[in-house]
Amino acid sequence: MVPANMIAEAFANTFTPMCLFLIWFGTVIGIIFGSIPGLSATMAVVLFLPLTFGMETTQGLALLCGLYMGGISGGLISAILLKIPGTPSSISTVFDGGPMAEKGEAGRALGVGILFSFLGSVLGIFALMFVSPLLAKVCLLFSAADYFAVAVFALSIIASLSGKDMLNGLISGLIGIALSMVGMAPIDAVVRFTFGNYQLMSGFDITVLLIGVFAIIDIILSGFGRDHLADKMEKKKYKLKGYGLSMKEFMEQIPNTIISAVIGIGIGILPGIGGSTSGLLAYTAARNRSKYPEKFGTGIIDGVIASETANNATIGGSMIPLLCMGIPGNTVSAIFLGGLQVHAISPGPLIFNKSGQYVYGIYLALIISSIFMLIFERAGLPIFVKLLDIPKHILLPCIVVMCCVGGYSANSRVFDVQCILFFGLLGLLFKALKIPSTPLIIGFIVGSMFEKNLRQALQAGHGSWTVFLGRPIAMAFLIITVISCAMTVRKNMQDKKAAAGKEFDTSEEDG
Amino acid sequence: MTNKQRNLLTSVLFLAFGIFFFMQAQGVKHMIPSDVGSGYVPAFICGCLIVVSAAKLIITLTRKDPADNVKKSSDSSTVGGVVTILIMLVYMLAFEPVGFIISSIIFLFALMNWFANNENRNIPLFAIISVLLPVAVDALFVFVIKMPLPKGIIGF
Repeated sequence: MVPANMIAEAFANTFTPMCLFLIWFGTVIGIIFGSIPGLSATMAVVLFLPLTFGMETTQGLALLCGLYMGGISGGLISAILLKIPGTPSSISTVFDGGPMAEKGEAGRALGVGILFSFLGSVLGIFALMFVSPLLAKVCLLFSAADYFAVAVFALSIIASLSGKDMLNGLISGLIGIALSMVGMAPIDAVVRFTFGNYQLMSGFDITVLLIGVFAIIDIILSGFGRDHLADKMEKKKYKLKGYGLSMKEFMEQIPNTIISAVIGIGIGILPGIGGSTSGLLAYTAARNRSKYPEKFGTGIIDGVIASETANNATIGGSMIPLLCMGIPGNTVSAIFLGGLQVHAISPGPLIFNKSGQYVYGIYLALIISSIFMLIFERAGLPIFVKLLDIPKHILLPCIVVMCCVGGYSANSRVFDVQCILFFGLLGLLFKALKIPSTPLIIGFIVGSMFEKNLRQALQAGHGSWTVFLGRPIAMAFLIITVISCAMTVRKNMQDKKAAAGKEFDTSEEDG
Repeated sequence: MTNKQRNLLTSVLFLAFGIFFFMQAQGVKHMIPSDVGSGYVPAFICGCLIVVSAAKLIITLTRKDPADNVKKSSDSSTVGGVVTILIMLVYMLAFEPVGFIISSIIFLFALMNWFANNENRNIPLFAIISVLLPVAVDALFVFVIKMPLPKGIIGF
């Protein structure tokens, strides 16, 4: 099939009433999840992933795109009105959005945040559209040994996701890989680590693991914090006309927008960093090149624009390595990878040839979702603000029911529902031992790619590990991995010395 | 728990896990002669886990940082957490025999009451939500997604 036909098919699949409804629905639900502290874009995508199983592929992916887009953007509502970021991506929005709200400019901060979230998203999507096909062509030259090196590189994300204790991150990642090996092995289908339980023959389902580790854990933790569940947060009032800024102000902010978007896209492409860091970096860059750096943090739109443009541009950026190489750049894209696999789409260089219609469908869904976000986040602000009042003691039990339904629908078996609690308790153990859980997910997802390609490469090399030395691409990835890990270790050591444990820890990206 | 105790527990727990799975990996059948076998990569991963856990254990035992022995106070409710887990466990075990709708109604009502305090406990509202949500979700799965949820012994 030629690309023109694929693009036409993507248009035909996406511009159907059902698909447009799902994008709208996903965006709105994503905004709600993003705006309520404690819920996140990650939880939204995890919770709705099982619902996509029975859907037509483009429709399922469109729903996930809407949830991702809405979830990241929705964080700005609570960041500005409550001074609590709804998602970690909106941490830097609090710096100026919060003071703006205190000065009575909450409406203006919300309007500006929504508008520049949209612009950041669109710029990120354009980067995705133009960079991905070029990267995919390069990836066509890859062999099993090279893919193994890519998997090792993907696992190096664990280093940057480990936060202050890299050994804990490594343990988490290795447990994730070990869990991916339960059930039938690749290549020879030998059954391993089932301990006589036939339900384990097909291994653990990624959806079940995600729901347990990222959703159920929050409910259990709410149980431990039950005494404070009813604590009310002080909410600021707002008034807003249009998007809260004049054309002159808009024009003045164009350089800030472009620089912040480039930072967001770059951080998105680099695995394991995430939206919170891109927002912080863009905020710092905007302050450093500003004529009035002293005003940052006192409530000016420049800070809100830098943060929101960058964290939304990260969405498009994180999709680039995900689609071309199957490397998830952050937690949400790791779940998105699970969604692609559920719909039998294999990310990699051939994705444009084998599943091009779905890739173009993702592009379209992201663009439509960002337009919906611009319109409906602004129009629905009174409702979204009202939703911040939903009591946690009602909301959280409802989420558990949705989680169990999600787990059940993964394979239509109750065993998966019980596994959700098992993984929730594993997440609790990790939390108690201060072990990050995102490396567990990365390890679980990349584990099968790691094993399959290592075994194929060793088979080709008659069991010798020197097979990797003869492959320039593999060597390049392995060298980059070593350099990347060394730099992360060095940065961690510098941070420890400089901040003496008081640094802003953004290692655990939730959405 | 102090940092030192936590690090010791982490390293010992995962060291034991690594050794156990390494031994299990040794027993995996080797089917294709030209292949390294299905136990090779698991053994490699468990080997890495053993090395990392052992390194953590050595670092924890040899490091002398006063901050590691500081015990942080926590105001979390252990009973609150344990009861929440138990309510969820009972719900998940009852999911199939009792059926989705009835088990979910009982679960929602129980957990809402458990999470609520005396001031915000609203029994009629909890009852309405507890009935409406499972019925709506079941209808969605049966009529829209065409994937029936467990009906249980009562049949709905």
